[in-house]
Amino acid sequence: MTSEVALTVNGAAPRRLAVPDSERLLDTLRWRLGLKGTKEGCRTGDCGACTVLVDGETTLSCLTLTHEVQDRAVTTVEGIAEDPEGRRVLAAFAAEDALQCGYCTPGFVVSLTGIRKELGASAPDSAVIEALQGNLCRCTGYLAIVRAVARIGNGNP
Amino acid sequence: MTFSLARPSTIVEALRLLADDTEGPTAPLAGGTDLLLDLDDGRSTARRLVSLDKLPWKTLAWDGPRLNVGATLPLARLGSDATVRARLPGLSEGVDAVGSLALRHRATLGGNLGRAAPASDLLPILLAVDATVRLVGTAGRRELPVARFLRGSRQVDLAKDELIESVSIPEARLSTYVWQRVRPANDVSQVGVAVARSGSSASWRLALGGVLPVPTRIPEAEVHLTEERPRPEDVELAANAAATHARFVTDKRASEAYRRRLVATLVRRAVARAQIPPGER
Ligand SMILES: Cc1cc2nc3c(=O)[nH]c(=O)nc-3n(C[C@H](O)[C@H](O)[C@H](O)COP(=O)(O)OP(=O)(O)OC[C@H]3O[C@@H](n4cnc5c(N)ncnc54)[C@H](O)[C@@H]3O)c2cc1C
Ligand code: FES
Ligand code: FES
Repeated sequence: MTSEVALTVNGAAPRRLAVPDSERLLDTLRWRLGLKGTKEGCRTGDCGACTVLVDGETTLSCLTLTHEVQDRAVTTVEGIAEDPEGRRVLAAFAAEDALQCGYCTPGFVVSLTGIRKELGASAPDSAVIEALQGNLCRCTGYLAIVRAVARIGNGNP
Repeated sequence: MTFSLARPSTIVEALRLLADDTEGPTAPLAGGTDLLLDLDDGRSTARRLVSLDKLPWKTLAWDGPRLNVGATLPLARLGSDATVRARLPGLSEGVDAVGSLALRHRATLGGNLGRAAPASDLLPILLAVDATVRLVGTAGRRELPVARFLRGSRQVDLAKDELIESVSIPEARLSTYVWQRVRPANDVSQVGVAVARSGSSASWRLALGGVLPVPTRIPEAEVHLTEERPRPEDVELAANAAATHARFVTDKRASEAYRRRLVATLVRRAVARAQIPPGER
């Protein structure tokens, strides 16, 4: 079945779209809204590449039905620079060259933004890194990502 | 797999939708972190999902010495509650073990009970504190201990037109959940051990997960753990009893022999850890 859903994405006015009931948010974002920054890594909840914020909280868009986020605010990597915390994360990733192929990067950037907002600016790096454990980097470029976390923790993006 | 989705706003409407199979097999949807994958690989044949998102069950409240957790409360909100961590540390530690933070923003306690997976990280602690599941159905409400709700691997005592409404969990300041797995996040525990000493019980209760067919208490180990601070020789007896009396399997995650050794080690670790105040663990 297909029915209408009102989606609020990246701060824009709600958009009404006809979406199949069984469609995942990941697919709606990428294929109906053209927001291809959100990546599909595994589609099974294991890799975090598809992470978006729903009402500010990190959410796996591959395991979320589009209709379930009706009336909630969705933020993808394309909108993350609107958020001061998101800007800090982007600057730290750039300063530390915290990417190799870049496939996992949108997921890491969105996750880290959500985690910083949820745990608070004074959270120790160790807690932030623990909360990032659901994001995988197939290039195994973790050291630079950990340096980016530390850079933000030092208030020095 | 395609299916239709209903998003009722009342319990009565949700139960009516669940009872009606005219559109094909129907299943309740909470966080979907199990169900959507089960639909993808054909383990679930549901053709209509009934979302519980709008029901008033995202609740967390103490009622004297018992914690009531609404079935659809995201696990992340349970995990971040400082009072729960102080009064029921074993529950918070079970929650910490589930998947990743992003997963816990959607996954729920009701869904974990509904799935009744052999390697669940939440069922061992619910068994060790003797929690009660509260159900609501077309025929009315009933409640039963988690131990009786779990019928077997992925089998629970739940009618088609019945839902888990909440879980009632007794306070247990002396409780912990410890686990072992290959990767810390988004991996399945090879073995999980919960121990707890709560008001109603004269001795420690001990439950294992990752041991088929479903998480289970091990009374043969509990009999050695009667004292609040068990003597080292009693802990040793309990660890050996748990390793002897549990039924173990070999699967891709670990061999039977490895699991037996793990259980003994984790029982020792759990009993020691449960004595440490939550803030210092
Ligand atoms: C990547 C990944 C990692 C995971 N890691 C772990 C882990 O470490 N430990 C662990 O224990 N689990 C883990 N899981 C499994 C899963 O996340 C948990 O079991 C979770 O608690 C399920 O909750 P849910 O709300 O998503 O359930 P759903 O998927 O929505 O539902 C699960 C089942 O319960 C039924 N159901 C849901 N709510 C109710 C209700 N209120 N009343 C009656 N029936 C209901 C559904 O119909 C379905 O059959 C993982 C899953 C993934 C995808
Ligand atoms: S694509 Fe969603 S977690 Fe991997
Ligand atoms: S940079 Fe290639 S997957 Fe992380």
